[in-house]
Amino acid sequence: MSSATSYYASTLLVYLGVDIMACWSLNLQYGVAGIYNFAWVIFQAAGAYTAGVLTLGPASGNGGFQQYILGLRLPYPLPVLAAGVVAGVLALLVGLVTLRRLRTDYQAMVMLVISVIAVLVVENVIRLFNGPAGLSLIPQPLGSLPLTTLGYQWFYVVLTAATCTVIYVFVHRVTSSPLGRALRATRDNEDAAAALGKDVVRLRLFIFVFGGVIAGISGAVLVQFIGAWSPGSWAYVETLVVLTAIIVGGTGNNAGVMFGALLVPVAFNEATRFIPQFGRPGLVDALQWIIIGLLALIFLWFWPQGIIAERRRRFPERPRVVRSGEGT
Amino acid sequence: MSAEGLRREFGGVWAVTDATFTLRRGMITSLIGPNGAGKSTVVGIIGGAITPSAGRVICDGTDITRMPPHQRARIGLVRTYQLSSEFGKLTVLENLLVAAPGQRGEQIRTLIYGKRCWRRQEEGLLDRARFLLDRFAMSHQENEYAGNLSGGQKRLLEIMRALMCRPKLLLLDEPMAGVNPTLAQTIEGYLADLGREGLTMLLVEHELGLVERLSESVIVMAQGKVIATGSMPELRAHPEVLHAYLAG
Repeated sequence: MSSATSYYASTLLVYLGVDIMACWSLNLQYGVAGIYNFAWVIFQAAGAYTAGVLTLGPASGNGGFQQYILGLRLPYPLPVLAAGVVAGVLALLVGLVTLRRLRTDYQAMVMLVISVIAVLVVENVIRLFNGPAGLSLIPQPLGSLPLTTLGYQWFYVVLTAATCTVIYVFVHRVTSSPLGRALRATRDNEDAAAALGKDVVRLRLFIFVFGGVIAGISGAVLVQFIGAWSPGSWAYVETLVVLTAIIVGGTGNNAGVMFGALLVPVAFNEATRFIPQFGRPGLVDALQWIIIGLLALIFLWFWPQGIIAERRRRFPERPRVVRSGEGT
Repeated sequence: MSAEGLRREFGGVWAVTDATFTLRRGMITSLIGPNGAGKSTVVGIIGGAITPSAGRVICDGTDITRMPPHQRARIGLVRTYQLSSEFGKLTVLENLLVAAPGQRGEQIRTLIYGKRCWRRQEEGLLDRARFLLDRFAMSHQENEYAGNLSGGQKRLLEIMRALMCRPKLLLLDEPMAGVNPTLAQTIEGYLADLGREGLTMLLVEHELGLVERLSESVIVMAQGKVIATGSMPELRAHPEVLHAYLAG
């Protein structure tokens, strides 16, 4: 493998890792708990921004050409952990507003509005977020290691894979537990779940925050790899890409959404990048978005369970208990 | 449990204008009345899904009028629905397991401790769920998605699911709606058994023969009011009840 190919492959693998975390995050909220979180990307963006400002050092550095808050230089993995915490707190605030009183369809509308407002706020509050220019020159973690550029690329692949593994352990603990079962019950019929004693708001708030934490961490992993953060890259349509990956891969299935992450944001986006430009400028990019939208619609219509459907849970046989008069 | 002066208005229309009654412990009480009498609204108010415009719901001496549905279920007040309310993408067994109260595996510490904190409790719940499946002759459907069951089987599932909550009071809103006569007979048998075991139930039902066979006490509603209470033979001689049914 030539060094250029190796560089390209390692970059794709890091993106894949970030997208897998992103899909797990939104899948917990949408696929498992049935929350239409169209504001998902703001949690990833918040995590990315946090990791950026906790890695960049003082704003006066690099000639003071960009403005941001905090400006610390914390060692790895503190910026990543802080990214998760900040995104989780933001998710808690958004969740408290949207999940307590609104019906599911209105929740979706409010989330979408929040996502649009967030980008406008970030682009216009220059002193906090540096406006549309965003942040750049974010140092890579453990950059002082004696590695070649290519060596560092593969080191970062390992770092991303390790982060994915840790996150998977927690995601699996939720989805395979009675907690995941209760969340799926609230997704299927929230009134019936409440009538059986499930605190639907508390359950949804928890998974919303937990998904937010993972989104924040995925943003941190991405921003520390590419070294830049721009609000234009975190528009609400990015949520739709992740959502499409989940729908295609298999809603509610951790393995399915991993496959979706490979197919949609990585394979599809990469494959269509090589389409030669034609028509007016920007036409090919627009077609990419159209195809992603069509992909979601086609799957929802013809294959709603996705490529790898939600797993049917079976329980081990145990010796039958024989009791009498104990129906109640 | 008692309802005191329940009233409920929907956009200027009074669905319930005066509902006062008491349910006796360990007894099946039926709530009957013509369509639009306000029966389902009363069940909704008792279950917590509907907030009354006025009046109180008292359970074991506690005013639970403003208590949300999930807290009512936790004190043992469990309901089933007129329309099937299964968790369609969960299996039959999962539908039962999810209903069990006080599950350690539903707490956030599951994230930290994993299976260790809930495995043993889950085994106990599995035994209970399978016991109920055996009792209601649904064991062969254990791994079927609840959404794939027939209408009658969904009714049975709802009753089993409610029993997993270990209810003190079971509210059954038209449990025979849309069920074929054979299965309806089976469900009736199960309800009679549960009644003999001392489970308190409030049964909303249109089929008066079934009401007579199952319940010792019957509450009659018409036009949002409780118009009579008593046994079926007593109610047959009640002029207001006759008028309500004959006049529709």
